[in-house]
Parts: sequence; structure tokens; C-alpha cells
Amino acid sequence: MTGLITILLLGILILVLVGRLLVQTATRRHARVVTIEDYSQARAALDSVFVETAAIKRIFAAEDVKFVSESDVPEVQRFFVKERKELAIQWLRMTQKQVAHLFQLHLKLASYTYEPSPKFEFNLTVKYVCFILVSNGLLVLLWFFGPFETVKVVSHTLRVAEHFCSAFSLRLEKVNPAKLRPSH
Amino acid sequence: MDSNLIWASTAVLEAAVLFRGWKAGLFRKYPFFYTFVSWVLLTEGLRFWIYKYIPSLYQAFFWDTRLVTIAASYAVCVEIFKNGLRHNRGVARVAQKLLLIVFVIAASYAASDFLHGGFRSVARAAADLGSYLSYIEAALLLVMLWLFTRYRIPFGRNLLGLVAGYSLWVGIEVIILVLLFLPGHGASVGLRKLAPLVYLFSMLIWCVSLWQSAPEPTQPPESAVERDYEVLVAKTRASFAHLSALVGRTLRP
Repeated sequence: MTGLITILLLGILILVLVGRLLVQTATRRHARVVTIEDYSQARAALDSVFVETAAIKRIFAAEDVKFVSESDVPEVQRFFVKERKELAIQWLRMTQKQVAHLFQLHLKLASYTYEPSPKFEFNLTVKYVCFILVSNGLLVLLWFFGPFETVKVVSHTLRVAEHFCSAFSLRLEKVNPAKLRPSH
Repeated sequence: MDSNLIWASTAVLEAAVLFRGWKAGLFRKYPFFYTFVSWVLLTEGLRFWIYKYIPSLYQAFFWDTRLVTIAASYAVCVEIFKNGLRHNRGVARVAQKLLLIVFVIAASYAASDFLHGGFRSVARAAADLGSYLSYIEAALLLVMLWLFTRYRIPFGRNLLGLVAGYSLWVGIEVIILVLLFLPGHGASVGLRKLAPLVYLFSMLIWCVSLWQSAPEPTQPPESAVERDYEVLVAKTRASFAHLSALVGRTLRP
């Protein structure tokens, strides 16, 4: 029975993937070719999400909520929490979108190269899936509890994220800086 | 729909695919695919002739040719692989290794299952072997489709139609085979009639998409493409390290 279920899944997955391929092709029919410059631009776009670091930090600031909670008007408190929640969700979604775009560009560019490393590609996919899971979990928390209640979870999530990203940082030390120049 | 009508429509579409392929000059581009369609058309004609004039031979002939047809359908798989990854040599290299691993695993599993099943008759053995070959083919196709979607390999109209028709046919046939194995469904007339209908639909997709030679998707000019994977890896590592630093700086209490 397990064998039959596996084969059934195989058939269903084929149909799902061919559907995805058709959608991808239909949406990309007029898309232009991706170059390494596009990648640099996507990286710049991702950086721009964080450009106002101080302002983003403020969304999650505990002292703000403390200050507002001193107010006797409950409507002000509600409005404040609602606004911060919307801002936090918007920021996280924008970050997700930019990271997804960067990941897609990496895959597209990797398909042009002669010797892609399955090991690196696999590691990158695992890290990307982790990022998606963590950031979506964060979105759910933000949605239900708001940014301030989520801060504790964020700190924990950060520790997990740092653990994953440390692998990148360690490897970065071994990278030849000359190779990071833009291509011509 | 009447079985004879399905059979006749399929044969007409196969002939149309071959004729249009010849007129549009697609034979040279997809030789394996057209050889496969020619083989199917030829066997269908022969089966019809044998059914009419030597009915005692029909069953054995049907199972033997079915087995060869399934084996020949691997040629379409090869065609898709060859043409789909023609401009992506790196991905093709990775895909070759991955497909070989999947083939060995699936073939070993199928072989052990086949040998443990016992040998009852030639027709039964041919039917079982045909099913196992279909499963292996489906596993290989799944890996290819995953690579195509993951690396967003661009397809022209001709190749896309080839992939769509083939995937639909293989995917649904595998599902039908599984459903036929379920208790109480072995003799399901509906399921048995569905397979030729799906093949007819696939043939229709092939006929439409291969009606004329379509332009291939534009490939990036050599000067605009970074072929060095190490450079790309360095950039990606740098991007993600930078991202983690930014997230840390922003969210650290």
C-alpha cells in the first residue's frame, strides 16, 4: 500500500509541476534575460528595505508601548498597537519578497553557469526554506499578538536565524574579494 | 465515447503530428519524439490488422508491443532532457547525475518487486514489466520537471507542448495504474477507458503545439552572462551574510 501511495504521489506531483511550468512560462514569456547586474540591483533593493534601520527598530520598541499604556484613552492604545502591527507586517512581507526575488535570481543565474555545485545549492535551499518557515511563523505571531508580544519570540527567532546565517559569514571570510567586483 | 472513435481519432492525430512535423521541419529537431510517434502509429495499424486476420495472435502481440512502446516512450524523455537543457550545460550535468541516481534506485526497487511477484504467464509478466517501466519513467520525469521549474528553464512553444503532453500522459497513466491496483477497481471499465482518452488529449496538445516550428526563447548574450559559478556563490553568500547582519541590527532589542 505504501508503494502505491508513493506512486500515486509521483503522478500527482508530475501534474502539479507541469502546471507550474506552464504558469511560469506564461508569465515569463516577455521577460528579459537575467544578468548579474539584475542580481546587484536586487541586492540593493533588499538593502533599501533596511535603510531606515532606526525607524524599523522603533516598530518593535518596548518603551513606546510603555509610554502609550500610560495614557488613559483605550482608543489611543488600540490605534497605536494596530498601526505598529500593520507596519511590522508590511516590513516583514517586503523583506520576504526581496529575499525571494534574490533567491530566484540566484537560481536563474546558476542555470547559466557551467559547474553549479549541488552541495551549495542544496544548502542554500535548506536555508531559504528555514527563512520562509521562520518569517511566516513570525507573520502569524504578528497577526495574532501584535509586534510587542512578539518581541520575545523575535529574539529567539533571531538566535535561530543567526545560527543559520553564521555559516554564510564564516564562509564569507574565505571568499576572494576580487571576485566580488561587478562583471563587465 | 466509443473506443473505436477514440482509437481512430488518436491514429488521425498521430498521422497529423507526423505530417506537420515533416512539413515544418521538426523531424530533425525532435528525432526521438517523431520516431516514437511513428512506432505507435505502426503498432496500432499492425494490431488492428492482426486483430482482424489472426485474432489468436492478438493478445501476445498486444503485450509485447505495449512493452516496446513504453520502452520507446523513454525516447521522449531523452528528447525533452536534450532540448530543454541545451543552453544550460551546468544544470544538465547536475541533472544527469541526479537522473542516474533516481534511475538506479527506481529500477532496483522495481526489479526486486517484479522478481518477488512470481512468474504466472508471459502476458502477465509483460504487463507487470510495463507498469514498472512506467513508474521509473514517471520518477525520471518528476526529477526533470523539478529541475526545469527550480531553475526556471525557458521553453519555446514546441518544447513546452512536448513536455505538457508527455507529462499529462505519464502522470495520469501512473495514477490510473495505481487506482487499478486498489481492491475492487481492477476491472473498472471507466478507468481502463480513461487511459486512451488521456493519450488522445496528449496527442491533441502535441498536434497543436507542434503544428509549426516556433522560435526558441532568447538566450542571453555571452557578454551579459556570468558563467563562473564561484563568482555567483560569492555574491550570494555575501548577500545573505549582509541580510542576516541587517536583520540582526534591526530587530535586536
